[in-house]
Amino acid sequence: MLIQRFLNQFDYLLFLAVTGLIMVGIVEIYHISAGAGDFSLFMRHLIWVGMGVLLCLLIIFVDYRHWIDHAFLLYILTAGLLLCVLLFGREINGSKSWFTIGAISFQPSEISKVTFILVLARYLSGISGRYLRLRHLSIIGLLTLCPMVLITLQGDLGTALIYLPVVLCIVMVAGLKKQFLIGIPVLMLLMSPLSWFFLEDYQKERILVTIDPGRDPQGIGYQSRQSQIAIGSGGLLGKGLGQGLQSQLGFVPEIRTDFIFSILAEETGLAGSIVVLMLYLLVLVRFIRIAESAGDRVGIFLIVGIASLFFFHVAVNVSMTMGIVPPIGIPLPWLSYGGSFTITNFVALGMAFSVHQRRFACSSFFRSNQHLPRPHLPAPLHNYYNN
Amino acid sequence: MPIYQDNQELIQRMRWFRIIFVLAFIGLFAKLWSLTIVDFQFYKDLAERNRVRTISELAPRGLIYDRDGRVLVDNIYGFNLVLFRDVIQDSNETLDFLADDLKFDRDTLQERLEDSSSYGSDRTIVLKENLTMKETSYLLARQLEHPELGISKNPRRLYRYGSLAAHVTGYIGEVSKKQLEQDEFKDNEAGDIVGQFGIERSYDKVLEGDNGSRRFMVNSRGRVLQNLDYVEPGRGEELTLTIDLDLQVEAESQLGDKTGAVIAFDPNTGEILVMASRPTFDPNQFVQHITQQEWEQLLANHDAPLQNQTIQGIFAPGSTFKIIMGLAGLEKGIIDAKTSVDCVGSVDLYGNRFHCWKSDGHGHVTLREAIQHSCNVYFYSLGQKLSLEEITSFARRLGLGNAMGIELGGEVLGLIPSEEWKRKTWGEPWYVGETISLAIGQGPLLVTPAQMARAVGIIATGNVPQLHLVKGEAPKATEKTLLPTPDFSAENLEVIRDAMWSAVNEGGTGQAAQIVDFEVAGKTGTAQTISLATREKLSDKDAEPFQPNAWFVGFAPRKDPEIVVAVIVQRGGSGDSGAAPIAREILRVYYEKHKKSKPDSMELVFQIKRKQRS
Repeated sequence: MLIQRFLNQFDYLLFLAVTGLIMVGIVEIYHISAGAGDFSLFMRHLIWVGMGVLLCLLIIFVDYRHWIDHAFLLYILTAGLLLCVLLFGREINGSKSWFTIGAISFQPSEISKVTFILVLARYLSGISGRYLRLRHLSIIGLLTLCPMVLITLQGDLGTALIYLPVVLCIVMVAGLKKQFLIGIPVLMLLMSPLSWFFLEDYQKERILVTIDPGRDPQGIGYQSRQSQIAIGSGGLLGKGLGQGLQSQLGFVPEIRTDFIFSILAEETGLAGSIVVLMLYLLVLVRFIRIAESAGDRVGIFLIVGIASLFFFHVAVNVSMTMGIVPPIGIPLPWLSYGGSFTITNFVALGMAFSVHQRRFACSSFFRSNQHLPRPHLPAPLHNYYNN
Repeated sequence: MPIYQDNQELIQRMRWFRIIFVLAFIGLFAKLWSLTIVDFQFYKDLAERNRVRTISELAPRGLIYDRDGRVLVDNIYGFNLVLFRDVIQDSNETLDFLADDLKFDRDTLQERLEDSSSYGSDRTIVLKENLTMKETSYLLARQLEHPELGISKNPRRLYRYGSLAAHVTGYIGEVSKKQLEQDEFKDNEAGDIVGQFGIERSYDKVLEGDNGSRRFMVNSRGRVLQNLDYVEPGRGEELTLTIDLDLQVEAESQLGDKTGAVIAFDPNTGEILVMASRPTFDPNQFVQHITQQEWEQLLANHDAPLQNQTIQGIFAPGSTFKIIMGLAGLEKGIIDAKTSVDCVGSVDLYGNRFHCWKSDGHGHVTLREAIQHSCNVYFYSLGQKLSLEEITSFARRLGLGNAMGIELGGEVLGLIPSEEWKRKTWGEPWYVGETISLAIGQGPLLVTPAQMARAVGIIATGNVPQLHLVKGEAPKATEKTLLPTPDFSAENLEVIRDAMWSAVNEGGTGQAAQIVDFEVAGKTGTAQTISLATREKLSDKDAEPFQPNAWFVGFAPRKDPEIVVAVIVQRGGSGDSGAAPIAREILRVYYEKHKKSKPDSMELVFQIKRKQRS
C-alpha cells in the first residue's frame, strides 16, 4: 500500500532522464578508464554513483521540511567546514578545497551549495509581502557572500561564481521590485570589473583568451582550443566510443571531470551530444514542473535553487568545452567524475524528488500525524510546523 | 499587517525559467551545430594534425655531372637537429638545454627560430645541421625529456670542386618570402631549399626531388605511440652539363686571382666546354644557412663575385673587333684581300690624329697582315669608308647585342651604339670620328665575352651555334634569341680565318697561343679603358686600375674547328701577353685530351661490331 502510493506519485520522467544521464556517465568514464588502462577510476566512479543513489533514495523518504528546519544549523556547519578546509585542507590542482581521509577526498564546497539553497529557501519562505525589501536583500547578500568568499579563498573561483546566478534566480522568484530587478544584475555587472583586481593572473589570462582566442594559441587558450577541436572533429555521429583520440591521447585536459562533454561529443558526435543535452533539458523542465506543483513556498524556493544550480552547471560547463566561456572548473552533473560532486548532485536530486512526493501536502503520507493546511493558502511559516 | 501570499504568484514568475532554459539550450545546440557540422572538416584536420606528426625527409637534389660523367655537384648526408614547434612548451628552456648541455651557440639557435616563424605549424625547423655522432646520440638519449627535439637525416648539397664553375652550377638556398609570392615557386613552401642561382636555379624543378615523409601518431606530450607510414623521398633528376672538367680546371687555374672570364664551346654543337668567371665564390657557403653578414659581404664586394662575367660582364671588344670590321669590308666589297694601306704609325682624319699601336708604322699592309699584326691604321681607313649603320648591322648579324638563350638566364645584352642612342643618351650627334674609333673596337660598343665567342664561332664555321650548358638537345631559339644564319661568302670567311691563323702561327700578335700540331687561329685585343690622352697624364702607379683589358678570341683547328675560345682578363694589359697564353693552355689541354682519345683502327673495328650486335 505504502509502496503503491509512493510509486503512484513518483516522477518517472525525471527518473528516466537522470538514469539515462548516469548511464552515459558510466559508459564514458568506462571508456576513459579503458583508454588510460586504469580501471580504478571506473570502479571509484561506480562506487560514488552507488553511494549517491542510496543517499538519494534515503532523502526521498525524508520530508524535505526536516532539512529546512535545520537549515541554519546545516549552513553554519558547512561554513565551519569551509573554514576548516581553508586551514587544514589539502591542495589539489591549485585549490585548497579538499579534506583527505585515507583514500577518500572530500570537498565541502560542493555540499555547501545544497545547504546554501536550503538556508535561502528557509529565509525567503519566512518573508511576507509581495516583494523583497532592501533589508531582506542585504541579509541574502550576506548569506551568499559568506560561502562565496570562503570558496574563493580556497582558490576555486568557478564553484564560488555559481552561487551568483543561483541566488539571482531564487530572489527573482521570491519577488523583486523593478528597481532591484534591474539594479541587482547591473550592480553585479558593475562589480565584475572590480573583481578583476582579485583575480589571479592565470584567471585573468583565461578570460582574455576567451575574448581573443588568437592571444596565445599554445598556452592558456590551448585547453579550450583542443576541446573545440575534439567536439568539432566528432562530426554528426562521432568517432565511436573509445575512438576519441583527440581526447584520449591527452590533447584535451581533464576529460574525466570538467571536459567530459568534449570526449562525449567527439565519440558520439552531434547526435549523442544533443541526446544528452535533451536529457538535461528534460530534467530541468521536470524540476520546474515539480516547483509549480510544490506543496508550499519552501518547496518552490528549494526547487528553483536546485533547478538553477543544475542549469548553470550544465550551461556553463558545455559552454566552457565549446570555448564560449573561459575554463573555470565547473563540472557536468552526473557525467563528470568526482566524489563530493556526485554525492551533492544526488542529494539535490533526492530533495527534488522529495518535494515532488509531497506535492499534495494534505495527503502527505509521511506526515499524516500532523494536520497541515491546504496548499496555496497564505500562512506564516511557523504555521506549517505545529511544534 | 495583512498578509497575502500566494504560491500562484511565484509560479507566475517561474514561467520565465522554461523560456530561458529552452533558449539557452537552443544556443548550445547552435554552437554544437556550428562546431560539428559547419566547421567539421576544419576541426577534423586540426585533430588529425594534432596527433599525427609528420617529419618531412628532404629529397636529395639530382646530381650534376660534367660532360664525361664526373660528378660536379654531389649530395652528402648529415644529421640535423630539428624542432617540432607544435610540441614545444617553452622555447627558452629548450634553447637553454641545447646551449648548456651541447654547447651550441644560443644566439644562432634563437636567430634560426625567429627566421622560421613563417613556417607552417606542422613543419619542423632545422636548428642545426651536421650534428656529430656524439651530439646525435646525446640528443636521442634525452628524447623523453625533450620530445620537441628530433634528429633527421638530410641530404646536403656538396659542390665537390668548391668555386670551380660556380657561376654555372650556381647555388641553393632557402626559398625567400619574396620568392614564395612569385609564380615560379608556387609549389614551394617556407623552409624549402631551392636553386637560387645558375643551373641550380634554372633547372630547379628538374633537380628538385619529391620530399618524403615519415608519419607518427603521438600523444599530447609529443611521445611517439605508433609509426603510421613512410614515404621515401624521390631523388631529383640528374643533369649532365656540357662543361669539360679538365678544360674548366685549366681555365680556372689559369685565371687564378685575375679578374676576367673564359668561355669555350664546340662551334658545331654549341656545347659550352668552359665557362669561368672571376672573381668567384664558393657555393658551399650557401648550403648551410648563410648568415646575413656573409651575404652582405658577398653583395658588397666591389668586383661582384656573383656576377657571371661571361654573360653579364660587358666590355669594349678592342682589336678583336677588327675581324668583324674586316669581314664587313670584304662583304661590302669596299676592300678585297689585296687592298693595301700604308701605315706610318698614325693617320689624320677629320682633323684628329689617330694612332697605331706601333708608332713607326707597319708599312704597306693587306687585310691579312692588318689582322695578323693588328694594324690600327688599316682599320681606320676602313672605318672611314663604312658608316656606323653598316658596321653595327654587321655586328648584329654576328650576334653582338643579341641574347643567346644560355640556360642560366640574366644575360646582359651589351651595347650597340647608334646615332639615335647617342642623341638620346648624350644629347649629341654621332661624330664621324667616333666611327673611326669604333673600327678598332673602342668607343661605346660593349659586348659580353660569350657574344664575342659566338661571333668567332660564326666566322669559324659559317653557322650560328646555339650555345648551351646542359647536354642533350640544345634549347630552341626563341624569338628573342633567334639569330639567322648570316650568308657570308665562304671565300671572305676564309680570308678572315686565314688572317687569324697567321696572327697566331706566323709571328702575329697572337703567337702566344700557338700550339705545335694544333692549328690555332685567333685574334688578340687590348681594349683601353681610358683614352690614350688621359693615360699619358697619369703616372704609372695611378694608371694601374686603368690598365687595358686583355682579350683573346680564337678557334682550333683551322680546318673543321672543334673549339672556340674567348678569354678576357680585366686590367690584363695587352692581349698577346695577358690573354693569349691562357687560351693556349686551355686549347693545349683540349688538344692533348682529344689527340689521345682518338680511336685507333682496332677500336673502330670493335665499335662497328658492337653496333651490329645491338
